[in-house]
Amino acid sequence: MPLQFMGMAQALLQNPVVEPMQVDALPEDNENNEETFYVVENPTIDLEAYVNSYSGLAKIHRLIFIIDHCPALRLEALKIAISYVMTTYNVQLYQILHQRLADVTSSMNVPDVAAASASQDIPIIDNSWVDQRLKKAALKLEKLDNDLKNYKSNSIKESIRRGHDDLGDHHLDCGDLSNALKCYSRARDYCTSGKHVVNMCLNVIKVSVYLQNWSHVLSYVAKAEGTPDFSESQSAKETNPTIFTKLRCAAGLAELATRKFKLAAKHFLQASLDHCEFPELLSPNNVATYGGLCALATFDRPELQKHVVNNGAFKPFLELEPALRDAILKFYESKYAACLKLLDEMKDALLLDLYLAPHVPALYAQIRSRALVQYFSPYMSADLRRMAQAFGRTVPALEDELMRLILEGQIQARIDSHNKVLFARDADQRGATFERGLFVGKEQLRRARMLVLRAAVLKSRLQVQSPPREQGESAQPQMQPVSSGARS
Amino acid sequence: MASALEQFVNSVRTLSNHGNLRELADVITKSSEVLTKNLQHLDNVLETLDVHQHSLGMLAVLIAKFSCPNVSLPDNRFVQAREFILNCNVDQVRSAPDLFAEFSHLFTNYLVEQKTAIKGIHLLKLAIIRLKYLSENQLTSVHADLCQLCLLAKCFKPALEILDVDIVSICQENIHTNPNIPHFDAKYFLLYYYYGGKIYLALRNLDRALYFFEAALTTPAHAVSHIMLEAHKKFILVSLLLLGKVQQLPKYCSKVVVRFIKPLSQPYNDLAQAFTNNSFTELNNIITKHAEVFNRDHNMGLVKQVSSVLYKKNIQRLTKTFLTLSLTDVASRVGLPGPADAEKHILSMIENGQIYATINQKDGMVVFSDEPDKYSGPDVLKTLEDELSLCMEFNNRILLMDEEIQVNPQYVKKTAGLQEEEQPSKSSFAM
Repeated sequence: MPLQFMGMAQALLQNPVVEPMQVDALPEDNENNEETFYVVENPTIDLEAYVNSYSGLAKIHRLIFIIDHCPALRLEALKIAISYVMTTYNVQLYQILHQRLADVTSSMNVPDVAAASASQDIPIIDNSWVDQRLKKAALKLEKLDNDLKNYKSNSIKESIRRGHDDLGDHHLDCGDLSNALKCYSRARDYCTSGKHVVNMCLNVIKVSVYLQNWSHVLSYVAKAEGTPDFSESQSAKETNPTIFTKLRCAAGLAELATRKFKLAAKHFLQASLDHCEFPELLSPNNVATYGGLCALATFDRPELQKHVVNNGAFKPFLELEPALRDAILKFYESKYAACLKLLDEMKDALLLDLYLAPHVPALYAQIRSRALVQYFSPYMSADLRRMAQAFGRTVPALEDELMRLILEGQIQARIDSHNKVLFARDADQRGATFERGLFVGKEQLRRARMLVLRAAVLKSRLQVQSPPREQGESAQPQMQPVSSGARS
Repeated sequence: MASALEQFVNSVRTLSNHGNLRELADVITKSSEVLTKNLQHLDNVLETLDVHQHSLGMLAVLIAKFSCPNVSLPDNRFVQAREFILNCNVDQVRSAPDLFAEFSHLFTNYLVEQKTAIKGIHLLKLAIIRLKYLSENQLTSVHADLCQLCLLAKCFKPALEILDVDIVSICQENIHTNPNIPHFDAKYFLLYYYYGGKIYLALRNLDRALYFFEAALTTPAHAVSHIMLEAHKKFILVSLLLLGKVQQLPKYCSKVVVRFIKPLSQPYNDLAQAFTNNSFTELNNIITKHAEVFNRDHNMGLVKQVSSVLYKKNIQRLTKTFLTLSLTDVASRVGLPGPADAEKHILSMIENGQIYATINQKDGMVVFSDEPDKYSGPDVLKTLEDELSLCMEFNNRILLMDEEIQVNPQYVKKTAGLQEEEQPSKSSFAM
């Protein structure tokens, strides 16, 4: 669902009344209730504080996500979003948000009396502001355009590059992402030093993240890292830590969005907290959560120890998210029940995260499987009832879960359903090797045969072609009915 | 009229005696019209020709006789054809593979119309062997005709000797000077592999059947033939039966095929999807929904086999995960209606050696046991040795092919040319 948000934004544009993301509407509904409960109970999800760690479109996108997914925070989020949008030129978004606000207040006022008191400080749509902003934006655009033309006629590369960048910034401010991307990309031809190239890449990455075009993000991260100035200075990590961290995080985000959790974890774990200052992309808390969860879901025990628990650079990140840190430590100490409980408590908050939410179920399932595998690894036999207790499941549900893992080959064991015991199974290495060897041999021979035949086919230039006359077309299907009755 | 025939006979005789086969072939192609116009005299012509000395001439006359739609009684064509195949001059016939292929198609069509397919099987097989196509591992369109006759006669064994041979070259049947036009009609290539696959399928050699269907599917193509489409349908079913999933088509498969063949066999893809999901209800729904399509394609029998294999596959999955399981649990996990059905299925699987288990009827439990050690004893050694010798044999063949390429004048010229050009400029590496 990488383009989920864009789809939503488009749905908003076309028909603001329709509830966006209808595909997810059903599961979201019951989650919403939990979220409301959780948010009210626990003040750590302080919307103000949460939002303040972002700037620019990242802030607005996250707010919109919360508006869509959490009715309890909807009103507050809308207010913050509107007041923030007023500092930009993004008039279109302003109008959309107001439309949403109108929908929310009208639906709230009727059933809920308590909300009526809150509606006093609801901002009203300011049409004069809209007109003003539109005019200003147009003026600024014209000015920047003219500037750029001047620079071009003088053909000073550096100025042209800056002109393009300024124009891109302005488009971004107006919320016109595709034009922003175009302008930033155009600056590429006028880059004179490696620093400029990296800068251009960072701009493109930023916009691509907003557009959720992840393959673009990855290719520009690679481009930035391949820039001579940047990569030659032996350890980019030391000379240019901010850019390095930013690139790592962007790459991690892209890998996360494309469900390559292990790669994502590796990228995030290379970030350093002191240089993690890019509110227009991610907050340090995000880096901690994304990295921590992905690592928990995909790393094995030694990796977890080496790269997460004993990783001095990543520790400060984890301190930002104490709950996650505890969960990781509990997992590491093999206290799976406690770990899973902690994770369950965090789940609602994670479901409000723009980028993580679609992957939460997958990540949680992976963490669970990993826990099951590790729980059983030292035993020869395990009582299913006690295991079910430790994982907070009923025995039949656990059986199903184990069956899946056994079939996937993650656990070498068999279930004694009669006595409710799980027995480890000695893998028949010898038999498996024989089987595999014979299979590979057969496969290889088959492929070689096919290739020899193909060589003959190619040599005689044999090709299926559409028949030149209609006659030929009808001749082919006719050939089959003749004999297809001969099926045994 | 008669003089034209006489002229034909005379030129056949003189050219055959001089051994000038190429010119003879030209004469024959030019005189096909004369022959078809003088059908009533053709028997006389045959009498004047000697089977061994004037094989090409006889071939031409027989083609004319078989291609004529209305037959004058008595019909002695089969006897003449048999006489020809048994006694013809191998060298002469081999010099004109196009004529012989045409003869073979006409002969086959004749037998199909007469509904006496079984009579031709032996003759065509003999023809393939006599003309040394078998010993040279060469594919001709006669192969396809033979397979068609075998399928129609439901007599599969004779074809096996031909089918079991791996083809390494293809007979150049279409003789013309333009090298860019294929020398072999793709239709017969596809038919051979489609029919061959069906024969193997009928004989329950699924592995080989899958190979044949795959060969038909991976033929270079600019358009999708109906034969390929049918082959694809069977390919899906056979690979479900054999592997439990749909085998991926190799990358060299033509793009048109990949793009167009999937939507054209949608019911089969749905079936495969349901099968890989191990969902029995889904599978049954699809079978009833598309029953008409499956029946029309004459694939219903295979589809039913696929559905019975799913039970077995699911039970086998259980043996991997469980040590003991009650019959009711087996039934519910596999999707069978009740414990009695589960018992029946498990029993038959135990008898067939597909799973190793015991049923305790007292408390209704199934105890799955490990497979006994399969890979010990002299039998294993023998299979290994057999496999090894197969591989070695094949390796030798590839070495031979490699040598052939090494001494191919064109190849030598090209590689030598490259080296010369290499010295002045390195750009020629673009090759």
